[in-house]
Amino acid sequence: MTAKRLRIIALLAISTVFLLAWAFPILWSVLNSLKTDSDVLAYPPKLVFAPTLEAYRDVLFGSGSILPNLLSSVIISVGTTIVTMLMAVPAAYALARLRFRGKKFAGFYVLATQMLPPVGIIIPYFLVLRNIGWIDTYQGIILIYLSFSLPFAIWLLVSYFEDIPFEMEEAAYLDGASRLKTLWRIIIPQVRGGIAVTIVFVFLNAWNEFLFAVVLSGNTVRPVTVAMFNFVSVEQTLWAKLAAVSVLAMLPVVVLGVVAQKHIVKGLTVGAVKGGGRR
Amino acid sequence: MPSFTPTRRTLLKTGTAAAALATLGPAFLRQAAAQDADLAPYKAAQIDWQQVSGETITVAVIPASYFENLITLAPQFKALTGIDVRFEKIPPAQIRQKSVIDLTSKTGTYATHAADPMYYALYAANKWVEPLDTYLADKSLTDPAWFKLDDIIPAWRSANGIDGKLYGMPYDGEVTIQVYRKDLYDAKGLKPADTLEAYMSNAAALNTPNDRVWGAALRGVAGAGQNMYIYPSIFREFGGDWMKGGKLTVNGPEAEAALAWYIDIMKKYAPTAAANWNWPDIADAFSQGTVASYIDAHSSASVINNPEKSKVIGKVGYARWPKGPSGKRTTSIWNWGFPINAALPEKKRKATWLFIQWAASAETQARTAHKFAGPTKRSGVNRTSVWKDPDYIKLMNGFGENFVEATMGALQEDTDVDWRPRVPQWPAIGDTMATAIQSALSGQATIKAALDDAQRRIEPMMRG
Repeated sequence: MTAKRLRIIALLAISTVFLLAWAFPILWSVLNSLKTDSDVLAYPPKLVFAPTLEAYRDVLFGSGSILPNLLSSVIISVGTTIVTMLMAVPAAYALARLRFRGKKFAGFYVLATQMLPPVGIIIPYFLVLRNIGWIDTYQGIILIYLSFSLPFAIWLLVSYFEDIPFEMEEAAYLDGASRLKTLWRIIIPQVRGGIAVTIVFVFLNAWNEFLFAVVLSGNTVRPVTVAMFNFVSVEQTLWAKLAAVSVLAMLPVVVLGVVAQKHIVKGLTVGAVKGGGRR
Repeated sequence: MPSFTPTRRTLLKTGTAAAALATLGPAFLRQAAAQDADLAPYKAAQIDWQQVSGETITVAVIPASYFENLITLAPQFKALTGIDVRFEKIPPAQIRQKSVIDLTSKTGTYATHAADPMYYALYAANKWVEPLDTYLADKSLTDPAWFKLDDIIPAWRSANGIDGKLYGMPYDGEVTIQVYRKDLYDAKGLKPADTLEAYMSNAAALNTPNDRVWGAALRGVAGAGQNMYIYPSIFREFGGDWMKGGKLTVNGPEAEAALAWYIDIMKKYAPTAAANWNWPDIADAFSQGTVASYIDAHSSASVINNPEKSKVIGKVGYARWPKGPSGKRTTSIWNWGFPINAALPEKKRKATWLFIQWAASAETQARTAHKFAGPTKRSGVNRTSVWKDPDYIKLMNGFGENFVEATMGALQEDTDVDWRPRVPQWPAIGDTMATAIQSALSGQATIKAALDDAQRRIEPMMRG
């Protein structure tokens, strides 16, 4: 009994340490976002201070408001997620179930696109978008994001589809359902956990993207990750405002994470025990 | 690659510019009146400002108050010329990347951009930008008697020139000077250092980490615009020469002595964290009273005089760089200049030139500085005549003792075009040197080994 209790205490202590290491930067951001610029610089760091929402007021409603940037981020991330899922679900299903020539190659090709270092393709992307006049447009950025979110989503979804026993589909066919109807009514409800996980990851990747956004965006379309950078200016770093924007930019992600938590945990564990099913 | 003034917003909130600027209260109304779209001073130029009316150009700038002030005046430019200017604000690290992509691909996205003086060699070698001489010589585009090119600070013009040709028109710039806590120096009977040796002993005298006061701080973080912004001055002051027998040389006895001095002061008298500091961190620390002196851009004066953050207002003095063993003082030649993108069609290039001429003119410089109605004034105006304007001097001296003298002295006597090696390979060379300096500072390599290694890495770059 004591040994067990000791073990629990030890585990708790270890997990607390890890949790703190993870939570510290976030807590620090939240604290700084509630401080004035002079409190941010105070030494020793003030843990007790008069909290103010000034930084939030400034970044939301001041002259350099980031509201348009948050909107840009939402449009880009939601747009990318919707288009990705519309294309990735049928593609992943095809790769998991159908027999066709070049299937192996197609599967490898999807994975291979993930192996390119993104920075290597940034100039070709810039030129392509420039030539079709899509620099600084939503469609341009979403199109580029698709090029890495799509393979990722397909690759993730294939494993979920492969997990479903083929017999379930057979049963549907025997009952006279068409392939599409089977996909829609039988298969998709089975993998909704996997789909939720994929949605979350695709959304997060698009929301947090910086490298492509900074080069391919401009005055019209500027996601929050890029706008945030302007608080680190050559003149000075506006720590309180930077922290406030970071917290605001984190919020949708945190909300999404909490909502989808159940699916994510399930999705990750499902992924952990399979693998034998992949061909 | 640094600069100035408290942000517009922080100042708007306090309602005054830096404490000193507040004394100008009554002058405020006059300035506001001068702000209206009075175009007469521009129309005195014997050129047709409206010659390419209807054009639209895009200008990339960094988010900084000196460009904000210019953006505020853009409607006046539109009224004068009929040209629309779209401004795009891009963070300093990315503006280089984006403008180089634009220039290499010849897409002509940015008619002009806030350019780094170290990049002109690269730009000119590839003919990405046009020499401005053609535009300056064209009587239909420029009235030399009105524009007065010679009035623009010569050091910055030569920094932006290659083989005697001007490629970027300086708009705003800075020099490096000594900034020190006058109260602490006075208490110990110290004077701002005249030599690097004295700077070291001053730092030693004031270094009391137990009271959270360190003797000095210099930029420590690795980067072509960070530690390689401050080290080149020391290198030159120790008699270093980037070109030895036509070969770019970064090692040798002068380099070793210079790096030894830098590491010595950083290790003994700077906060440990300064090894990772860039200039805003240094200015923040100084404004909190924990650093007795630093050498950095004169423009940081506005940060350490920001009434919202600073605890040292009224306790600051300025002086030029201490002399090195060679007897020289060497300051930076940093400025943001405007080049003309060669990929543009002719009419747009003309529109761009008119914009550059307007932005760099004495009138616009004054209207964005002491005559600016908003609270943030510029400390990096490009013209000697503005630096001699009593109104401007009064404003600048609000930053502390000897500010204008130190800055002007540095600008007129301490500048050195060969402050950093001006070769097209600079971006890569700057990074290599930056890494070498930091590895020596952190003790990963000895001074000699770090420099010899940098030399080995740089040689193939110069061949290729």
